[in-house]
Amino acid sequence: MSSLYWWLTLAVLLFCIGAFGVLVRRNVIVIIMCLELMLNAVNIALVAISNFRGGALGAGTLFSLFIITLAAAEVTVGLAIVIANYRNRRTVQTDQYNELKG
Amino acid sequence: MPGGDFHPWLFFFLAAWILVCALGVVAFKKIMYSAASMVACFLGVAFAYALLSAPLVAIVQILVYVGAISIVIIFAIMLTEVQDGGYELFFDRQAVFAAPLAVAAAVVLTVVVVTSDIGALGDKALNPSIKGLSLLLFNGYVFPFELVSLVLVAAMIGAIVLARKEEEKA
Repeated sequence: MSSLYWWLTLAVLLFCIGAFGVLVRRNVIVIIMCLELMLNAVNIALVAISNFRGGALGAGTLFSLFIITLAAAEVTVGLAIVIANYRNRRTVQTDQYNELKG
Repeated sequence: MPGGDFHPWLFFFLAAWILVCALGVVAFKKIMYSAASMVACFLGVAFAYALLSAPLVAIVQILVYVGAISIVIIFAIMLTEVQDGGYELFFDRQAVFAAPLAVAAAVVLTVVVVTSDIGALGDKALNPSIKGLSLLLFNGYVFPFELVSLVLVAAMIGAIVLARKEEEKA
């Protein structure tokens, strides 16, 4: 078995742990942290494929740089929403974000 | 066995490190422990990039994830409440369904990856050097690069607008 399989398996496992965290945790900040884990898993897969298959002159590595940048933007906006929501509702628990139910 | 210029056990140690830290993020009740575990996980991922002959991505990972994103998240933790209590306060009831779902997804994806022929090319490291990467970035991908900086500015302004205190209406 070549190395790429091992790296991709690592990425798959990390992604599933992150997805599990997003599904089960109640604190919205922990959910954001788990989202970051999922993005990191995708980046590992991109860099590994780019390293072992070449293709398009290593554009996979470049893509991971773009993803890191967009993750920074996503975290900024996400946490700003969390803080604004906390100021109004005094909670960061997802089960108490029930205003949209009407 | 994973090959390359390093001992295969280095890969297994690194993978165990990353996965255990990721599980820590999910499982810790104290949110600060989760954050510390996340920082350790990000460091492990940076090391993984270094092993995958992508030193630029490794350095960017440390700068952006370990340096910036972690700090912002820790700030957000300190600005919000700290919960204390039993596990039912921290985990949704749907964990009963989510756990087998996550395990099933992991098994299916692993089987798909391992039975594909994606790794048929062998273990030669093909990632471009930093020079090659920068040539690629500033020739073919210069438009997405500028677009991403626009997105960053928009996100910064949006974050300021969202998190700003509402001014008192006169």
